[in-house]
Order: sequence, then C-alpha cells, then structure tokens
Amino acid sequence: MKQKICVIFLCTLFFLQHPAFAQKARLSDITVTNTHDGLEVVYLNVKGTFTEKMREAVLSGVPTTFLFYITLQRKRRFWPNKEILSMEITHTIKYHNLKKEFVISRSWEKNKSLLVRSFREARKLMNEIHNLKIVLTPGILEKGEHYQLKAKARLSKMTLPFDLHYILFFVSLWDFETDWYVMDLTY
Amino acid sequence: MASNRFRTQISKDERRKRKRETLLILIIIGVVMLMTLAEYKIIHFGTDFSVSDTILMFTLTNINLLLLILVIFLVFRNLAKLLYDRRRKVMGAKLRTRLVLSFISVTLLPTTVLFLFSINFITSSIEFWFNVPVEQTLENSLRVGRRLYTYLEDHNRFFLKSIAYQISTKKLLRHRNRKELFRYIQIARGSFNLHAVEVYAVSGNAGNVQRLASDISPELTDEPSDPLSPDMFLKDMGEKNVRSVSSHIPKGELTKTIGTIPFGAVPEEAEAFVVVSALIHSDLSESLTSISKGFEQYRQIQLLKEPVQITYYIIISIVALLALFCAIWFGFHLAKSISIPIMQLVEGTRRVADGDLGFRITPAADDEIGSLLHSFNKMTRDLKFGREQLELSAKMLRQQNMEIEERRQYMEIVLRNVSTGVITLDAGGFVSTINKSAEKMLNIESESILRQSYKKLLKGQYLNIAEEITGHIALEDAVEFPLRLIIDGRPRSFMMRVNELKDDAGGHMGLVMAFDDLTELEKAQRMAAWREVARRIAHEVKNPLTPIKLSAQRLNRKYSGRLRDSVFDECTGMIIDHVDLIRNLVNEFSSFARFPTANPVPCELPPIIDETAALYREGHPNVLFEIRMPGNMPLLNLDRQQIKQVMINLVNNAIASVREQGSVTITLTRDPVSRQVRIEVADDGPGISDEDKARLFEPYFSTKKSGMGLGLTIVSSIVADHDGKIYVRDNQPKGTKFIIELPGV
Repeated sequence: MKQKICVIFLCTLFFLQHPAFAQKARLSDITVTNTHDGLEVVYLNVKGTFTEKMREAVLSGVPTTFLFYITLQRKRRFWPNKEILSMEITHTIKYHNLKKEFVISRSWEKNKSLLVRSFREARKLMNEIHNLKIVLTPGILEKGEHYQLKAKARLSKMTLPFDLHYILFFVSLWDFETDWYVMDLTY
Repeated sequence: MASNRFRTQISKDERRKRKRETLLILIIIGVVMLMTLAEYKIIHFGTDFSVSDTILMFTLTNINLLLLILVIFLVFRNLAKLLYDRRRKVMGAKLRTRLVLSFISVTLLPTTVLFLFSINFITSSIEFWFNVPVEQTLENSLRVGRRLYTYLEDHNRFFLKSIAYQISTKKLLRHRNRKELFRYIQIARGSFNLHAVEVYAVSGNAGNVQRLASDISPELTDEPSDPLSPDMFLKDMGEKNVRSVSSHIPKGELTKTIGTIPFGAVPEEAEAFVVVSALIHSDLSESLTSISKGFEQYRQIQLLKEPVQITYYIIISIVALLALFCAIWFGFHLAKSISIPIMQLVEGTRRVADGDLGFRITPAADDEIGSLLHSFNKMTRDLKFGREQLELSAKMLRQQNMEIEERRQYMEIVLRNVSTGVITLDAGGFVSTINKSAEKMLNIESESILRQSYKKLLKGQYLNIAEEITGHIALEDAVEFPLRLIIDGRPRSFMMRVNELKDDAGGHMGLVMAFDDLTELEKAQRMAAWREVARRIAHEVKNPLTPIKLSAQRLNRKYSGRLRDSVFDECTGMIIDHVDLIRNLVNEFSSFARFPTANPVPCELPPIIDETAALYREGHPNVLFEIRMPGNMPLLNLDRQQIKQVMINLVNNAIASVREQGSVTITLTRDPVSRQVRIEVADDGPGISDEDKARLFEPYFSTKKSGMGLGLTIVSSIVADHDGKIYVRDNQPKGTKFIIELPGV
C-alpha cells in the first residue's frame, strides 16, 4: 500500500509540477481600446522575465529576443472561436559594453533602435508594449459582437556563443513562457 | 464462417504470443509518449530549431532513453529475479549472487574511480580555464576603449559647449544671421579640428527637424550625411548635458555628440541643437569592436561555466551509470551463462539419480562447460545403454527363471500327483522335498520333517537301515530294496529305490528316494496264490476223503460187531470224524477258492446290520449289542449277501473276542465330504497285538483255536470287491475295532 501511494505521489509531481528552473513569467495590465479602424493595445506588460541569470546574460552581451503572440478571435457559442487575427511581435535587446548602453529594437516600431543606458529602462522597454495599433480590415469587427483577445510571451531567442545553445538546451535555465492571457471584449 | 475457422486454426500459444506482443507495443508507445511529454516539458530547443530537427532530437533522445530504460529494466528485473530465487532457495541462486556481486565489485571500483577522476578533472580544467588572467586584460582593454569614447565625448562636449555659447551669444540662430552661423561653423570645425559640425532646429514636441547649418570635413564628403531623426534630440541629455550616438561608416565610426543651445538647457526648451562629429578611424574602431566582442564572448562563456560543468557532470554520470548498468547486466548474463549449465548439470545428475537416463542437456556454448555437458550426455547415454543391456539380461534371466519355475512347478505337480512316494535329501541329509504320495503312504505331515536331518527323524533299526543305504550309495549310484513298515498300526510293504543326486561335475547333491506301496498288490498276489493252493488242495484232498470215510464206516460196520473192541470203534469213529473234519476243511478251502465275484446293486445298509445283530442277540444274552446309525443313510451299491456275511464274520469275531461277556458296538457313519460310509464294529475284548494285526487278513491266520483263518480273509476280499477298505484298530479303552469304509453312490 505504501509503495502504491509513493508511486502515485511521484507521478502526480511529475505531471503537475512545472520544472523548477522554469521561472514563472506572466502577462499583466493589458488594456485594449477600440479605434475606428480596429483595436489598440494601450498597454501590455510582461512580468518575471529578467531573472538575475538572464540579466547577467544580457549584460554579458547575449542578444535576447522576446516574442509576443497576440490573437483575436470572434467568440462563438457552439463552435470553436473563429480566429480573426494572429500577430507576432518581437523585442530584441543587445548590450554594448564599450559604450555601456542597451540597444533595443521592437518590431512594432519598425525595429527602430532605442538606446538606453540603464538596465531598468531597457527592461521596461523589453517588457512593455504600448499604443500598439491593430489595424483590421474594415467591417471585420461588428458592433456589439463579443471577441476574445489572447496574448502570450516567451523567450524566443538567446544566442549563446559558439552555438552552445544547441548543445546546452537542457541547461537553458533562463527560459520563460507565460500562459495565455485571455481577455473578453465587446466591440 | 471463414473467420471463425481461421480463428480456430490459431493455436493457443500463438494467440498468447500475439497478445503479449500487442501489450508490449502498447507499453512502448505509452513509454515513448510519456518520455516525449517529459522531454517537451524539460527541453526547449528555441524557435530557430526547425521542426525536423526537433523531431530528430526527440527521436534520438527517445531511442537513447529507451535503451537506457531497457538496460535499467534488465538490470532490475534480473536483480528482482535473483532476490526472489534466493528467497525461494532455487538451485544456483547463491552462485549467481556471488558472481554478480563479484562482477559489480570489480566494475564499481574502476567506474567510481574513473567517475570521480573525470569529475575532478573537468572541474579543475574548467576552473583552470577561467582562472587564466584573461578577464583582467580584457577588462583593461575595455576600459581603455570606454575611456576613448569618454574622451571623445568630452572632447566633443568641450567644443560643443564653446560653439553653443558662441551661437547663443552672437545670436546666430536668427534668420538674418544665418550666413554668419554658417561661417562660424566652418571656422569652428576648422579651428577645433572636428570632422563635422551641424546645427539643428527642432520645432514641436515630436517636431520637425531642420538642419540650419552644417560643415563636414573633406575627409567625410564622400559619406552620406543624413540629418538626425527628431527623437534623437528630445531624449534626456544626462548629467553631461550631451548625448552621443555612433554610426559606422566605411571610414570608421562616427561619433556624434548632441548638445542644446544654450548649452545645458532642457531639450524641450532648447533653441537649437549642435551636433559635433568626430571620426574614429576604421582600424581603431575595429580594434575597439573586437575588444568589445572578445570581452562579451569571454563573459558569456564565463556565464556558461556552471551549465557547462553541470552538462559535463550529467554526461559523465550518464556514461558512468550506463557503464555500471551494462556491467551489472553483463555480470548477470555471465553469471547466467555459468550458473545455468551448472544448474542443468545438477538437475541432470538429480534426474539420473532418480533413474531418468534419457535426460539430455543441450550445450549452449562450445567452451569447457560445453565439453562438460557433452561428457555428461555421453555418460548418461552410456549408462542408458548399460541399463538397457542389464534390463535385457534381467528380462532373459526372469524368463529363464520363469521357465525354471514352471518346470519346477510342473515337476512338483508331477511329484504331487505321482502315485510313487518321493523324498529328497540334500547333501547334508536334510529332507528337502516330500510329495503328497509319500506323505499319504507314510502318514506324515511334510512340515514336520522338511529341513530336518534323517538322523534326527529316524530311530533304532530304521536309522541302521538308513546308514546302511548311505553306505551302499557311496559305492553304487542306486539301491533298490523291499521294506516293510508298520504305519499307523498297519503293516505296509514298500519297494524302495534310492538314487544319488549328482551335479554336472559329479558332486554329491543329495539323495532321492522313490517308493511304491506294494501292500495291496502283495495281498492280492498272496490271495491269488492261496486260492490256487486251496483249489488244488480241495481237489487233491477231497477225492481220497470219501473212500477213506466209506472204508472206515465199512470197517466199523463189518468188524465192530466181530471184534467188540472199543478201541476199534473209537479209532474208526475217530477216522470218520476227522475225515468229516478234513472234509469241512476242504469245503472251506473249496468255498474260498470258488468265492463268487460280488454283484453290487443299490440297497440299504442299516437293515443288514440290524438283521445281523438280531441273529446274535438271542443266542448271546450276556453280550450287549449297541447299534448307532444316522437316520438318513443313502443307498449303497452292495452285494447284500456278501456284506451280510462280512457283518456276520465281524460280529462273530467280536462275540468270540468278548467271550460271551461284554459289549459289541456297531457304528454306522457317513462322511458327506469324501462321500464314504464307515462301519465300525468294536468290542471290549482283550484286543490284538500289533504283530497279529499285520497278518490278520492273511489266510489261515487265526487267533482262535477252532478257526481256519479264512474269515477275515474273506471279509477283506468282499470289502475289496466293493472298492472299500478295511482296517483294524485298537478300541478305546480296550478291545478291537474293525473299520470298513465303503464308497457312496
């Protein structure tokens, strides 16, 4: 009997528990508004991304990219939701140690380089999306209809020297991936 | 219907096998799915890892893990089996345990040493790599580079501050002073030896950028000189009130330092912006870049120090574990390959000991153990052959024994049923066999004399006879002689033949005595002889008797009156009387010789006995007649007249024996088993001696003075004619008893 309990306990741990080294990142403070031609993500923030290890890696000059998924679906009662829009946004950071400045480029800003000197500022820029306009085909959104906006963020790329990230995949301790953030909205 | 038939054709084993295979496939699929799930949770390959590569990685990982799990499973299964076998005390479990433990010990020591050495080696190597004083050098180089940029910025700032002051003081930003602004910039760039000086006017918050004036050194005239974007101006200028931006051009790195007019103003409140550019030539710029890159890479590698160490530890641990598990499994395999043939050998010896000589062991290998097993198989084969030969011999022996036994039984049956009595003595003179006829003739029980020496059994004159025979036998092989014995009060006459038994080598094995009872034969011969004598005497004696008697009567008649002599009369009277006497005697002889043959017809015996008794009861009042008869006597084949004569003779003898004073008992009994009727005539007279008994039934033997001695001879003859027997015994407590046994119908 004891053996059975032990086996069940271990199985439960194995299936339920996330790996201890995967940090818990999450999306928060998402604000979306309507615009005349679509939607606007007024604010989106991802928390718990830069751990000490990751900060160390970034400060060591490792180019790091965050990937944001944003999907918009029309809600349907008896059918799976219909996807209207799916977009991917990338934030890339690179530290120049010679000039002690962070260069950040964000895809939704046409990858324009942003130079900041403090890590705090750089982190803010990496974690936040604001005033992201989602332009949709006119008429695709109908007044009074219910929609669902889902967003998710994860570490997309962290290029280690000598392509070590291919070998050391099982020790990439700074990986993160948030759960889907779901928001219901009515147009 | 067809499917049913097909299903029935599949054997039970095949079905079980298929079921097992299906279960195995399901388990493997389940395990692979579980492993993939676990790997998916643990491992992230990154977005730039293609799907095909990911699948390949998962496949390789799964194969490796499956192999690892298989090895672990094999090891633990064998371990569990070994423990179970040990607990059950299965033959060979101890040997296997010892072998496995030895193998594990032998493997564990070098593996542990190698593992610890590898861990230590890798740790010290990695530590050594990172301990080399590269970092300091790189940091110093980086510091030099940073210092250069700072110096450049400070240099630019100094001149920028001066230019801003001049522009602000001289109010060169006014539209009418535009030419002077341009001239001043040219002078300033030239005098300050700057690569470019630009003045921008920014209108609005995100406003438009307008380059008011610019002067670029001839060195950079070939390079494009696009105006800066508005957001470059609106950002915070920092403590130094300037901001520097760099851009790479073919000739090197151009560092542009932005400052406000008036210098130190907030960007939003600035009248204009001055941008001072200084070029770092490409060789220096590249050196700086390489310093930066080198430092970055070093830091990144340093960052990976721990993961690399962990990775190495994991890899070494996996390899060590794999080696260990493989070694353990190999240990099990080796132990099995050694212990199984030994167990087979043990089982084989046990089976052979139990008598299963058909047991064979299939040698798995062609090594020394295989040779041992071959030898074992050869041994069992030879043993089997030997046993078969033995069994064949035993069978033949059994058959011969059976034949001998059959022959012996046949001989016993022959001996038992032969009328001749046979007694054998072994070489020591002990009675070894005696047949039924001998028992009957001698009236003895075989149990009482078997395995007993004749010296012990025989006494007196008989022992002397035996010794005499033994002496004769030593000289001759066979001895034949007549022998007369009194058995159970009856004289018996035997013809004895004694032969010596010899084996094939002529050795003395004992004696065999065969004897025939000639008593009845002798009696019959004697009777026949006596009858012939009687007939002749009667014929020869009777003829002169009549003339003798007539002559005596004639003499008496003629001379009695004349002589008047009493002597004469007495003498003639005597002659006449004795002639009568002789006549009677001759008549008796004659009647004996002419005794008619019995003519038996079924008749009742009790009336004959009653009639006989009645004849004598009246005449002998002092004699007590007692008759005992059962009520249901059957009819017997009898010659009534002759049997009556037998009874008269016997009763007459009995009365004569008791001398008119005593008792005569006639007993009639019937034995339903032997179907015989027994007549006993007993008296309480003085009895008859044993010597007389032997001759009692012979002619002319009489114990009475007046008897002719033919009465009992006639009785005996009549009884013999009726297929019966007559004996004489002593009556208890006294007297004589005649017993007649007559066969029933």
